[in-house]
Amino acid sequence: MGLSGLDIYKLLPKTNCRECGFATCLAFAMQLAKKAVSIDECPYLSSEAKAKLEAQAQPPIKLITIGQGETRLQVGNENVLFRHEEKFYHPPGIGFILEDNITDSEIKDRVEKINGLKFERIGQALEANLIAIRQNKDAKRFVDVVKIVSSNTLLGLVLMSDDTQGLKYALEVLKGKNPLIYHATKENSAGFAQLAKEYKVPLVAQADELEEASGLTVELAKQGVTDLIIEVSGKPMPERIWDLTQIRRLALKKSNRSLGYPSLVVIDKNDLYEEIQEAATYISKYAGIVLIKNIESWAVLSLLTLRQNIYTDPQKPLQIEPKLYPIGQVTDKSPVLITTNFSLSYYTVLGEVEASKIPSYIISVDTEGMSVLTAWAAEKFTPHKITETVNKFGVKGIVSHKHLVIPGYVAVISGELEDESGFKIIVGPKEAAGLPSFLKNLQYG
Amino acid sequence: MDKFKVTFLPDNKIVEVAKDTTILSAALSSGVCIKSDCGGDGVCGRCKVIVKKGRVLSQPSGLISAEDRKHNVHLACITTIHSDLEIEIPLESRLELTLGTEGIYSVSENVESGKKILSEISFKYCPLSTKLYLELPLPSLNDTASDLDRIFRGIRKTQNLPFVQTGLSNIRQLGELLRDSDWKVTVTLGKINDTLEIILVEPGDTSNRNFGICFDIGTTTISCQLVSLSSKKVLGTKAAYNKQAGFGSDVITRIIYSRQEEGMEKLHSAVTETMNQMIKELTVEHRVDLNDITCVVCAGNTTMIHLLLRVDPTYIKREPYVSTANFLPVLRAHEAGIIINPRGLLFCVPGVSSYVGGDTTSGVLSSGLYKEEGLSLLIDIGTNGEICLGSKDFLAACAASAGPAFEGSGVACGMRASTGAIQKVKIDAKSFSVTCSTIGDARPCGICGSGYIDLIASMLETGVIDRSGRIKLENHMRVRDSEAGKEFVLIFKEDSATSKDIVINEADIENLKRAKAAIYSAVSVLIKRMNFEFNDVKKIFIAGGFGTSLDVDNAIKIGLLPDVKREKIVFIGNSALSGARQMLLSIEASKKTDEIARKITYFELSADPGYMDEYMSALFFPHTDLNRFSSAK
Amino acid sequence: MVLQLMTERWTGEVSAVTIGAAAKDGGTRAYSIKIGGEKSLPCLFKEGTLPNKPQVAFEVFDVAPNDWPNEVLKPYGKSVNDPLEWAQMCVQDFKARSLCIRLLGAHPDFGNKSSEEEAQLIKKLLEKVSVPLIILGSGDDAKDNLLLPAISEAAKGECCLIGPAVQDNYKTIVAAALADGHCVIAESPIDVNIAKQLNILISDMGLPLERVVINPTIGALGYGLEYAYSIMERARLAALSGDKTLASPFICFVGQEAWRAKESKIETLPEQGIIWEVLTATALIQAGADLLIMRHPKAIEKVNRYIDNLMTNDRTQSSK
Repeated sequence: MGLSGLDIYKLLPKTNCRECGFATCLAFAMQLAKKAVSIDECPYLSSEAKAKLEAQAQPPIKLITIGQGETRLQVGNENVLFRHEEKFYHPPGIGFILEDNITDSEIKDRVEKINGLKFERIGQALEANLIAIRQNKDAKRFVDVVKIVSSNTLLGLVLMSDDTQGLKYALEVLKGKNPLIYHATKENSAGFAQLAKEYKVPLVAQADELEEASGLTVELAKQGVTDLIIEVSGKPMPERIWDLTQIRRLALKKSNRSLGYPSLVVIDKNDLYEEIQEAATYISKYAGIVLIKNIESWAVLSLLTLRQNIYTDPQKPLQIEPKLYPIGQVTDKSPVLITTNFSLSYYTVLGEVEASKIPSYIISVDTEGMSVLTAWAAEKFTPHKITETVNKFGVKGIVSHKHLVIPGYVAVISGELEDESGFKIIVGPKEAAGLPSFLKNLQYG
Repeated sequence: MDKFKVTFLPDNKIVEVAKDTTILSAALSSGVCIKSDCGGDGVCGRCKVIVKKGRVLSQPSGLISAEDRKHNVHLACITTIHSDLEIEIPLESRLELTLGTEGIYSVSENVESGKKILSEISFKYCPLSTKLYLELPLPSLNDTASDLDRIFRGIRKTQNLPFVQTGLSNIRQLGELLRDSDWKVTVTLGKINDTLEIILVEPGDTSNRNFGICFDIGTTTISCQLVSLSSKKVLGTKAAYNKQAGFGSDVITRIIYSRQEEGMEKLHSAVTETMNQMIKELTVEHRVDLNDITCVVCAGNTTMIHLLLRVDPTYIKREPYVSTANFLPVLRAHEAGIIINPRGLLFCVPGVSSYVGGDTTSGVLSSGLYKEEGLSLLIDIGTNGEICLGSKDFLAACAASAGPAFEGSGVACGMRASTGAIQKVKIDAKSFSVTCSTIGDARPCGICGSGYIDLIASMLETGVIDRSGRIKLENHMRVRDSEAGKEFVLIFKEDSATSKDIVINEADIENLKRAKAAIYSAVSVLIKRMNFEFNDVKKIFIAGGFGTSLDVDNAIKIGLLPDVKREKIVFIGNSALSGARQMLLSIEASKKTDEIARKITYFELSADPGYMDEYMSALFFPHTDLNRFSSAK
Repeated sequence: MVLQLMTERWTGEVSAVTIGAAAKDGGTRAYSIKIGGEKSLPCLFKEGTLPNKPQVAFEVFDVAPNDWPNEVLKPYGKSVNDPLEWAQMCVQDFKARSLCIRLLGAHPDFGNKSSEEEAQLIKKLLEKVSVPLIILGSGDDAKDNLLLPAISEAAKGECCLIGPAVQDNYKTIVAAALADGHCVIAESPIDVNIAKQLNILISDMGLPLERVVINPTIGALGYGLEYAYSIMERARLAALSGDKTLASPFICFVGQEAWRAKESKIETLPEQGIIWEVLTATALIQAGADLLIMRHPKAIEKVNRYIDNLMTNDRTQSSK
């Protein structure tokens, strides 16, 4: 475990000089504990304290980069075992295994399909990350396939081969593209370490057992290779979950450096559902990279969506799109209710409107996901902002009655809103639960 | 020394004052208030008076038109008295102070029951403003030091400070004043940083009449004390609801109101009216001349201080929540509209951040938290609750918006802790009959904070309410439906002082639940944030004006306070006011507040991901996590 | 170098809840199912026993559902018009181990069937099928306060799981379950605190927590799944750490949520709906789900197989 803010504070000068930009040494120390600032911001740190703090600043799980440019994949650097404790930072790479023993045109075809596995959900791009080329034949064929794939995709590559000579050729071809080599084992570690060092690329360290994996990474580190990814292979699902959990726990809680790397899982299942379900399991439980075979678009979409869910920042409020939502069979007489775009606010209002059976419009104002009172206090739910939203969605042209209903909690803004928007403002109930009876009695005077 | 009789019209108030006294001072002595925005520097021109009879001497001023001069109009602050006078105060110069409506505050309130603890901490006696009586040697051809130098020389004999300064208006009147008073004068001195300022020069010896007032300006309640700076005695204490409450019950609403047309003006006059009324009552009760109040210390949350000083508080509310000033220079009380001696000083206790103000700094000072060996906690339970965790090594603070329920506001039968407030309650488990005691043993008029704490604890214990705060007792004469959910009757109208039933309803319980949840969760998050647990805390100081005492067991039973060993918890009453008083009496204490305010690290709870969850889990009696309250199960 | 593993030593456990009463327990069910009882996090057998597999129940409505996409209606054909036939089909054709019957038809807006009528239906259903039953009200608070006591009485002694009890409306249903020997679904809106508070209020009424199942209110894959996922992880961690008030198994309405997703309604991609339901279930099992209410027979088949793979703890391997 790292040092706490107070532990760090004890190492600081405690002069509250504010030169670091924080109001007090303690405030700075708390940020240091969160690794949100650099210790270099403090100009008066003793060298002894600096050494201690630098050791602390290292991430417990190393960040590994595969590929390059915009499509590069970064995994590792996680801080917690459960997403609610903070958040999961680097979504696992999802990659597809491509055998080199199929025809060139089949290969191009598959690469094309993999390139096309791009989706968009709630404003975020969902994309697969890696193509793993697996050697089944000789080195020449392997290198040829690597060439075809690399000239047809921007995705990061994984080279799956035990043949150092073939790998060397392939790495030569892929210079600057930073592929991942799969994989070093206890038996071949020297040769693979050499390759990884020579071409400055990340390497998978594979073992059958955790202890062996730990020994292997220590050995590789001795040889100067520390851009590693761990694979503990060949076990049934529950065993793998145990191993992945141990790797994460030992790295985070025991600062075990030999396991302080992301992990990789290769799934070898022929049934599509089984493969996707297993992949989903490891996405939830600590995998850094998951390699599968299937490239069925609907199946991949479901996996990418799951990854998006699990790696959503739990500390950010869930937002919905700011919009005019018609609920039920609305007419130009239907009431218009204003709320925020905090999803809980919106869905609570929606639930009550649905329950009331009175067709209504709900306008969600962009409050950056804040609830009604918070947004009002932070000036994100002002008469001006509401007017802007109402105009943007053309409410004047949609309803004929010129009335808006605002939440009871912001009754104070009704006067100003009335002036600014030109609508008559009706103050609704404070709690959404009051909506059904409110809507039933609503009359425009 | 010559004394003259001055009659103020139309009030027909008569006062006897020494020669060379200004009309403004005389007016204050008589209890008539004249507007003076500049604090007696002769520059604002708002203190125009008409001299009907008698001889005065005015310093020249461009603020009086030729026409006015013809009609004997003078500026009260730069006009001295040289005979018996009759003076008319025109309407536009009058500051109307209607005395407080009866019942708003009671005469003697014990706002400081924790005195025992607080008095242990003392600073060297050295008040923020002192009076020094000087008998100066007469000038001669051998001693031709100027009048001002003569005074400086006299001061330096007792005070070891190189820089002494004073204002022009003092100098202007000096020549005549010294000679008329036979070189026997009293100077009022204030120390501003390292400079000694002559605030006032008065004829004769008034050195035993030097008073100060300290204030705790809360969002809901304002408390103050009149202190004799020469004898260190507290002459009187008062508390009243802040009149600003009419513009919203919490700081956020007030800030928003301040942006409306004349909003700032209204808020400012509401708070100064409340304060001036309190001052006036105290001075009348204790026969203190307003002129002899030379210094005011205000502890208040940041928004309150902004509004008092008419500084725009808008940015306190906007991300990233920055105030205009936390450390304020020494000001003239009159600049803020506080009516004491027109040249009297105003000190504001330095604040930490937008939501942790000088009241917290002041509380940390008076509780001695900053020098505790072991980890300690100060919880100030108010509308804007403040929590400070620390020891001599570090100080960390956060704010909790609790709402005014524990101050008896925003709840059906709530009232402040004053005479007639129910402060202890017990419900019989079988008959549900209610026994209660009131402050001053008067007939009950309402329920104060400590009463609510007792009440909810007994309602829980006897099963009148369930843990979520809903009234579950059915078919009983004390339970009935109301507009705010069900209600429980404590006192039937026959027995109440207001001839109305005294009740608690489900909406009240909800308010109190939210208030206690805000306080408890803020404490909990702050402790967690600093990597401690409740058990690591060695001492907990509870401050606030919700009663003269606090039943700690009941406060734990409802989940307001953490379930720790009872002996760790100390109730210290209004710690902000005590701190302000200590400042009033000691420059050292004042310097200490600077140090404390700089040392406190502020944590913004809204930025803490765990806060909302902690708050939600505290919305239950005592808490969703019953294991945290094992002794209260 | 010997690698020192890090093993959690949990002090608490999830309570085991039994649904369905066989003849020996005074009911008429062919068997009962047991859920909960975990002494460890999902799959981590080495830290504590996981005695009961997650269970999947088929969802059946008392009236033909009007909002199910075609893809999920198809396998049941015409039987959706007759709840008894539908239930029988689930049990006989799809080998359902338990059924979840939702009495939507009692809702004032969806038929307003009387409590007596619904009680009769439950009685017939109990005769027709012998699997354990989960019974849900209409979703209208006022109606359910009349309906659920009647249902509870009609199924007296069968140890059904009935619900939902919510914070604003728990007393009637808890009292009924207490009287007739059923278990209760305690439903809270994606909020671990309310889940806990509701459990406390329910146990304050005298119903032992061993007869409570928590419905944490889930979202489907892509529709807030992660909220329930984390709520469940948190609650489970608390339970294993000794917090009895959160130590109830979870019931998750997977089918209901998954088939509401936009992705499940695309006619040209019939399997997308199935995998949506499958993956929603898969993720929630990893978060600790104990009882999954699902709709599509193929999705249920896949999830059941997954559970088997997951829960087959190969001891020879683990002792290696």
